[in-house]
Amino acid sequence: MNASKAIGKALVASPERKLEADADLAVVRQVQAGDVAAFDRLIVKYRERVLGIIYNMTSNSEDAADLAQDAFIKAFQSIQRFQGQSSFFTWLYRIALNSTLSHLRKNRLRSFFSLESIREDDPVSREILDALTDKTGAGRDTFVRELQEKLNDAMQKLSINHRTVVTLFEIDGLSHQEIAEVMDCSVGTVRSRLHYAKQLLQAELQPYLR
Amino acid sequence: MKDSERRIAVEDLLRLKRAERPAPEFWSRFESEIRAKQLAAIVVRRPWWDGLSNVFAAVRRNRFPFAAAATLALAWVGVHYAGGLSVAAHTAKTTAGAPVAAAPVQAPAALVAARVEPRRDEVGTGGPGIPPMQRPVVASTASHLTVAPAATRAEPEARTPLSDGIAVALVDYRGMNSESVRQGIFGSDREFESTVASVRQPPAEPLASVDPSGERLERLLAPALPSFSSSRAPLLASDRMKQKASYDRMYESMDRYGTGGMSLEFRF
Repeated sequence: MNASKAIGKALVASPERKLEADADLAVVRQVQAGDVAAFDRLIVKYRERVLGIIYNMTSNSEDAADLAQDAFIKAFQSIQRFQGQSSFFTWLYRIALNSTLSHLRKNRLRSFFSLESIREDDPVSREILDALTDKTGAGRDTFVRELQEKLNDAMQKLSINHRTVVTLFEIDGLSHQEIAEVMDCSVGTVRSRLHYAKQLLQAELQPYLR
Repeated sequence: MKDSERRIAVEDLLRLKRAERPAPEFWSRFESEIRAKQLAAIVVRRPWWDGLSNVFAAVRRNRFPFAAAATLALAWVGVHYAGGLSVAAHTAKTTAGAPVAAAPVQAPAALVAARVEPRRDEVGTGGPGIPPMQRPVVASTASHLTVAPAATRAEPEARTPLSDGIAVALVDYRGMNSESVRQGIFGSDREFESTVASVRQPPAEPLASVDPSGERLERLLAPALPSFSSSRAPLLASDRMKQKASYDRMYESMDRYGTGGMSLEFRF
């Protein structure tokens, strides 16, 4: 199954995505008309999401940054061929995910992590980390770093499809139905894949679960 | 502790990945890098083979129309080229055949056809590669000599002007067995006849324009009588030399005969 195609469909499924796609299309028309600076608005709008998706697929911040930049450059170079039949983010995401999959296939045997630090300014993440450890200072930082490495290692042990399902569900926040429509499969299959992926992750992350 | 009693599931751990975000200063570097790449993408031209690949892709997409167009073009070129050759050959035949019809040639065609054989080694400057349309000499030669047999005209591309001229002239020369043929050949070209007649001079006797008596007398008396020759035009240097030589010869003969004073004696 083509994961990028599936994700692209999912992003235009909801009404919010539809409105967002219409707004993006207006900006794209400006870029196509010659307003190159308008493309910067699209970059600022989608850079975190594109980088987050690529980062969670690669678990490498440097590669994710390069792949995200290349995705934006490819989108800029091919903006004249964008017809508006899909949303801009769908189109941009396909470019980014295709580049990511090509990068992962090329560097299948060479995988090392380059992780971003976990931002503890998010109250949910702070609550989880407080529940995991009562350490403070350097001991807490070491624990968080170790947990982060284990988490990314477990993600990389998943297949592309399972990793994509987990990423869509956890990062993009899509529902099971949307993922089923996107991946052109039943909701049961989505649940099954998600359940199987979570089982693998649970087995890998057992020491941190309570 | 309260937080340590909280249940931690896989979903909670995965939510931590949402918090894996780069620092704010990262985005400034990201923006500068992507702007540089964007400018490079605008400025740097694509390589020439990129357009070539687009051309090939277009050809591959429309391979059937392209193949049909190429076939039609090749067919047209082939027909046009073959048609041009046939037209040229037809023109050469026409130009070579027209004087034959007008000329009252009585030479046997079979004899001419047997003797006029195109020789490749005589091609020389002409060459077989020259199209028949570029051989006007053949037609003009044939028109002058009024001999272009049917068998010879059947192979126009194997002949050259030189070989044709030699062959036709040879045939004509050897074929003039009868007086009627000779008259037919030379009498047919009135232009050539009139040209030759205008250039031809009437027969003149060289001795008729010379006065033998006067010239002979002058030649004999000139050494002995210089006054005889001085009556004419002034002597040239060569004439003086001849005159002096004649004096010397006279004195030598006088010495040889032994003339001294009034006596004459012979020495042997």
